[in-house]
This record gives sequence, C-alpha cells and structure tokens, in this order.
Amino acid sequence: MKKIKINVFEQIAGSAAVSSEDGEELFNKIVKGLEEKDVLLILDWTNITLITSTFLNTSIGQLYSRYDSSFLRERLKIENLTKEDMELLKRVIERAKEYFKNKEKIDSSIKETLGDE
Amino acid sequence: MQFEFPNSIKSDFDGYEILIDFYNKTSNLKFDSIVLNFNNVEWFEANLTAVLGSILSNAQNNFNDIKIENLLDKLNFLLSRNHFLSHFGGLKIQDFYDTTIKYRKFKVNEEKLFKGYLDYELLSRQVLPQMSDLLKKKINESIFEIFSNAVIHGRCQNIFTCGQYYPTQNRLDFTIVDLGKTIKTNVNDYLKNSLSGSDAIKWAIIEGHTTKQGSIPGGLGLSLIREFISKNQGKIQIVSEDGYWEQKKEEETVNNFYQTFPGTIVNLEFNVADTSHYYLSSEVDEENIF
Repeated sequence: MKKIKINVFEQIAGSAAVSSEDGEELFNKIVKGLEEKDVLLILDWTNITLITSTFLNTSIGQLYSRYDSSFLRERLKIENLTKEDMELLKRVIERAKEYFKNKEKIDSSIKETLGDE
Repeated sequence: MQFEFPNSIKSDFDGYEILIDFYNKTSNLKFDSIVLNFNNVEWFEANLTAVLGSILSNAQNNFNDIKIENLLDKLNFLLSRNHFLSHFGGLKIQDFYDTTIKYRKFKVNEEKLFKGYLDYELLSRQVLPQMSDLLKKKINESIFEIFSNAVIHGRCQNIFTCGQYYPTQNRLDFTIVDLGKTIKTNVNDYLKNSLSGSDAIKWAIIEGHTTKQGSIPGGLGLSLIREFISKNQGKIQIVSEDGYWEQKKEEETVNNFYQTFPGTIVNLEFNVADTSHYYLSSEVDEENIF
C-alpha cells in the first residue's frame, strides 16, 4: 500500500487547528485521499500546538458519517500528535461513534413516524 | 437618556443582572443619546467590559450616541489600559501593570486573529505566575472551545472578549460574549420544548448532548472545559437569555434572571496558581485509535 503524508500544519497554514472551516478542508482532503485504492494516508501533526474538539469533530469525527472503524484503521494513521492531544482525539472519536449510532436510531424513528402518517 | 450603575459590579449573578437590566433599558432606543454615569461605581471587574461592550455596540448599531462619564480615576485608568474606553471616545494607554487582557470585538471569521490575540495577551505574559506548559495549553484550549461554540452555534456577527488577571487572588477571568442564537433557543428548537434558560444550559452541558443534526458530531467541548475547571479549582459561568448556570470547583449553581439577555455570556475563571499535574487518564493505543 502506498503511503501518503498529509501535513496538517501546511494544510491549515498555521499551528492552531481550531476552526471548523479548516477542519472541513482537512476532512475533504482526507475523503479525497481515501477514494484512491491502496493508499495509506498518514496525518502528520508536527508543529500543531493548539487543537480544539471543534476542529477534530469536523476533520476526523465527520469521517464516521461515511466510513467505519475497520476501514479507517486500515487506511488512516496518526503521527506526531502529542499524548494530550491524542487523548482528545480519542474522546472525539468515541463521541463520533456514539453520535452516529444515535443518529441512525433517531433517523429511523423519524422515518417510521413519517411512514405512519 | 442617563443611566447610573451601582457601587460594585462583579462577575456574579448580581453583576450580570445589572448589565442585563442596562441592556433592557437601552435596547429600544434609536437615534438617542445614552450617557452612562459611573459616578457611584468604585469597582467594575474589567473582564465584564466584554458584556458592557456588546450592549453598547448594539446601542451604537441603533444609531445611539454613547458617552461614558464620571469614572473614578482608578477605573478610568483601568478601562483605558484594557482599551475599552477607546471604543467609546476615550484613550488607549499602555498597561504597565500587565494585568489586562484587552477588550476586543472580533468578527466570527477572525479565529486566526483571535489566536494571535491570545498568544500576545495571555500566553506571553511575564506577570502571571509560573504555569506549566500543559496548564497554559489547557487554558488556551478552553477559551478557544468557547470562541468556537459562539461561531458555530451563535451564528452571530461579532464576538466580544476581555480578560483580567487578579494577582492578589491568583485568578484570571476571561469573558466571551455573543449576541447570536442562544443556547436556550438552540436547545428548545432541537428538543421542541420550552425549557427555561437555566434548564436549557443544564441540558447543553451534559457530555454527548448537542443540538447539531448534520454530519459533524458535537457535545464534547463544554464537558472538556468542566473537567478541566474542576481539576483547576476554577469557575465557569454561563448566561443564556434568562438562564444562569455556574460551576465553581465542582459545585453547580443555577438561577434565572427576571429579564433576558439576547445572547450568551461565558466567563471562565482560572486558578493560575494551580500546580496540579495533569496526568492523562489512560495511555492511548495509536494503532487502534479509530
């Protein structure tokens, strides 16, 4: 599998990974990369000094709206994220999985309700 | 029209109530003259200029002429040092005491400018006690989470911020205000309910609760701040319309105002003398993070 590095610092043009706009751009870049077969994307967080849950929700959490854990484990790797930020990312991922699990339930209950009418 | 403030305005329920009352008395004025007489005021916590600034900015949008008068010398000096008065005809002076974090009005797309402001105004401060890099990072992240919340949920034009370091109390207060869509409105729209302001805030602060409905998850930012504030022995206060919620260390308080504020106020109070070690709760397995 070909390894391709995405440098987050370069992608967002700065050390602060905070805005949802920047998160959305990174999300789109990841999605584009994942469309290519036999490519392992490596997200390199070197020189990123500030990260918010907002940015991670948009860039990484949103991936769970399209892909499942096993696919992402196979095709996406994280590099050079500090231990503290890695813990934040873990929280964001757990939350995202929960969010989409609940969303499916909510969406299906809405469909059922509409179907009843 | 002339308005007077009482002797002391602090970052507490009573202080916010005074400012909300001022908003309600001025919100319908147009092409008028608003004179804010500080004659009686001996104490005004400088971080609250973020709230006062949002109200006066709204009044200026309604073509009112604003005058701030009769400030005691020490207050005039403080509000000139934090550049608040310069927005309303006063002067900017250099803060040799180095305790103010300037009053600023940001546009919602100015997150990078906000980052520069925090780096300069907060993180590079020599006057603050020696803080670990991790503590500084946590303070910075908490402030950014609130700023981002205002951008995403408030859908407003401007965000007003101001901070103040209180050296004798080893505390740093940072206040963020927006006049956009409130927590109360967002929560009630989402739940199709009519919760009071304080009940809506109580719902919103629970981990996993989010009013987002699209493909971007949420419901984590406020939990992260609450966990940190609790360890740091600090305080977080949230005002949304008529609702008030506060967490001081680990203790929560709720209340409702008689009148309504048309936006959200968040005040974060950090204990800057915190020497705790912020251990990680668990080691993360990078290989299996997804």
